[in-house]
Amino acid sequence: MNARLQSMIDAARREWDESRVSGREQINVCMDTSSVARGANETLAALKTSAQRLGLKIDIGVTGTWGFCWMEPTVTVRSAAGTRTVLYANVTADRVEEFLQTTIVEQRDMAELALGVVEGNSTPEVPLLSDHPFMKGQIRRVMANIGLIDPENIDHYLANSGYEGFGKALEMDAEAIVKEMLDSGLGGRAGGGFPAGRKWDFLRNATAEPRYLVCNADEGDPGAWVNRVLMEGDPQLIIEGMLIAALAAHASIGYIYIRYEYPLCIERMQKAVNQAYDRGLLGKDVLGSGLDFELIVFKGAGSYVCGEETGLIASVDGYRGMPRIKPPFPAQAGLWNKPTNVNNVESYANAPMIMRNGAQWWTSVSTAKEKGTKMFTFSGNVNWAGCIEIPFGPTVRHALEQWAGGMRDGRPCKGFQPGGPLSGVVSGNELDLTLTLDPYRERGLFLGGGGIVFFDDTACTLDLCKYFLAFCEDESCARCTTCHGGTQRAVEIIRRIQQGGGREADIDNFEQLVRTLVWSNCFHGQFAMTTIKTALKAFRDEWDEHIIEKRCRAGVCEGLIQYVVRSQGDTALPAAKEICPTGAIVEERGTYSIDDGLCIRCGACKELAPAAIEIRDRIARRVAAGAAAGGA
Amino acid sequence: MPAEPTTQELRALVAEFEPEKGHVLPALHKVQEQYGYISRKAIEIVARQLNTTPALIYGAVSFYSDFRTHPPAATEISWCSGPACRLLGGDRIREAMQQTLELPLGGQSGDHRYGLHLGQCNGTCSEAPQVWVNGKVTGNLTVASAIRLAREVKGAE
Ligand SMILES: Cc1cc2nc3c(=O)[nH]c(=O)nc-3n(C[C@H](O)[C@H](O)[C@H](O)COP(=O)(O)O)c2cc1C
Ligand code: SF4
Ligand code: SF4
Ligand code: FES
Repeated sequence: MNARLQSMIDAARREWDESRVSGREQINVCMDTSSVARGANETLAALKTSAQRLGLKIDIGVTGTWGFCWMEPTVTVRSAAGTRTVLYANVTADRVEEFLQTTIVEQRDMAELALGVVEGNSTPEVPLLSDHPFMKGQIRRVMANIGLIDPENIDHYLANSGYEGFGKALEMDAEAIVKEMLDSGLGGRAGGGFPAGRKWDFLRNATAEPRYLVCNADEGDPGAWVNRVLMEGDPQLIIEGMLIAALAAHASIGYIYIRYEYPLCIERMQKAVNQAYDRGLLGKDVLGSGLDFELIVFKGAGSYVCGEETGLIASVDGYRGMPRIKPPFPAQAGLWNKPTNVNNVESYANAPMIMRNGAQWWTSVSTAKEKGTKMFTFSGNVNWAGCIEIPFGPTVRHALEQWAGGMRDGRPCKGFQPGGPLSGVVSGNELDLTLTLDPYRERGLFLGGGGIVFFDDTACTLDLCKYFLAFCEDESCARCTTCHGGTQRAVEIIRRIQQGGGREADIDNFEQLVRTLVWSNCFHGQFAMTTIKTALKAFRDEWDEHIIEKRCRAGVCEGLIQYVVRSQGDTALPAAKEICPTGAIVEERGTYSIDDGLCIRCGACKELAPAAIEIRDRIARRVAAGAAAGGA
Repeated sequence: MPAEPTTQELRALVAEFEPEKGHVLPALHKVQEQYGYISRKAIEIVARQLNTTPALIYGAVSFYSDFRTHPPAATEISWCSGPACRLLGGDRIREAMQQTLELPLGGQSGDHRYGLHLGQCNGTCSEAPQVWVNGKVTGNLTVASAIRLAREVKGAE
């Protein structure tokens, strides 16, 4: 091992070990975007002031997330002897005083908030964290440090196997590193699954200089936040992965392209990069090894197609982030037309442990085709919106029940979106599909970057399709008429159907759009119609209902429904009238009615007066009546 | 509202940036962080600094949703357009807020006190449906609570 690296690691380990036997309790608050949204800043501040008021001598720090995003702020408490750590959930600022009183002053577990024992002995009230249903079946590899280390402290990383993989790679030649990566079979984690080792090999064999590495941290798929969890929880892991790729491919400059919607990631990655520079892990002649590697954190500015690799490259170059046709691939002509390798955050994050423990160890967790683990986030109509890391292979049903806590209110799962707005929708009848790449590919879908969205029967298929197509239209770079005009056309047709103007020819209209959009330049346009195409297959009866019967079974589509007052005399009606943003609810001598022309179908009135107000079909009954009359 | 930045100030602010180095977005971010928006003058100065044309710089400004060519309102509400928020009533919340604030998405009140925007999911979907008020998550909304929030922001007239 490189002597300078070894001595850095040794020093970090000593400090880490000493901190664990400091004789003081250690309290760590998860500080990431989700926990801050749920009050983690306030919790941290309250812990500090309460500890002072109670005269407690404790250490207070921060970590990334354990993945229980729906129960943040989460907090760990490690005993003064350093032998037992308990993870707690929902530790909001108002509970902090009681929390410290119980866990520190009285030295008891606060069982009602405890999720489990991270290390040490469990009790009947507080079982092991590994026995928590959410943790069962998870194998945390890229997430191994998250929750345990301070993401803003490089020494924490160094003390927990950090940079050991890079240390090994320093002793290997580029070919051997590539071979180890190829042996691992690590596939791109953005969803394509293309072997990372092969991409690195392309770059290694490119002739032009300099060579660039790009870490794609644009994570534009709404509902996906796995890259965010990594960057906010263990940023050095990504830097180490890129350093290994730099050795393998003789790259000298790297960019981490982070979407602007992730300010905390940008801040933490920048701090991590600065610390790595300070330690000689980045820059000229890294640790005296002869490797030169500059790493730049690049802030995006709000564009989905900048996640597409050629769009990203155009964006760093400085202009509109418009994807272009491939080939040439980035390995031939990328940043400033020089050879460039683009990988996802999670792809790079796997490299350090592959180097450290070897490809053979790494592939011990695998399906026949997909090697290693994958991170996923779950959202939508589920009970638990969290983040996990698992081996590929379980069924979607299992994932839904085990790690997403099942559907809310026990409603049926109508379907799910496997990975972003280009990935399509799958019917709830197909929950036995496994979380592997092929079953989706075979059906013209994708398992994408890890964000899976489940929906129940309160969702209208057409409305969902309109949202995803409007997203694609909004985010189209407008280079291709097929993409920009096609998505716009699709949205227009859905809108017309939602207003009650559906025509039988509309199904053909959609099919024509499906055929047309495949002629677009990049995947964005080529796959923009996937949602509609797959939704037409999975939910055809619902389309026919909207188009022919003019009925929206979910009670969503504006023109097909109507809000009406069902029962007068409900005491909640005045509140409903007061909340109505359009003044559509009128009262005349104690009788309430809704002016349909003014009503925007926002549903606020029904929230406040659920028994008095109902949603009715607006046209469907008339059509039915008309049909009956006509048929007679 | 911040005063329109002077040519001199702007030149000094972007002096560190160079052509052909991937500095367009960093320069624009720096201008916007400093002044809250990117003025016409700023576009011209960034273009000169980076040895390119104002048209190309404006092209970048107009491409990205984060860049503004006008000062932001005092209270900016970003509405999350993401799927989890949508599935839990987000679109009805948008309708109701637009109606209450009398603004389209991307609009701003005449007195610059409040504005409404389309925002993208940042993975705080556990709080869906939500809006960000000056960047801070206001989650688990109902349509009624969103209307009340909008009325509060709008204030008495
Ligand atoms: C419209 C569009 C958006 C994309 N967004 C992302 C993204 O946000 N993050 C990402 O890693 N890849 C994204 N990709 C895929 C990238 O083009 C590229 O394939 C990926 O970064 C390669 O990484 P991997 O091989 O490590 O998976 C997107 C692709 C398309 C067509
Ligand atoms: S397919 Fe769409 S996003 Fe891709 S280059 Fe064409 S217009 Fe741009
Ligand atoms: S749905 Fe909204 S607009 Fe229509 S009556 Fe109810 S509150 Fe008013
Ligand atoms: S969908 Fe609104 S935060 Fe994710």
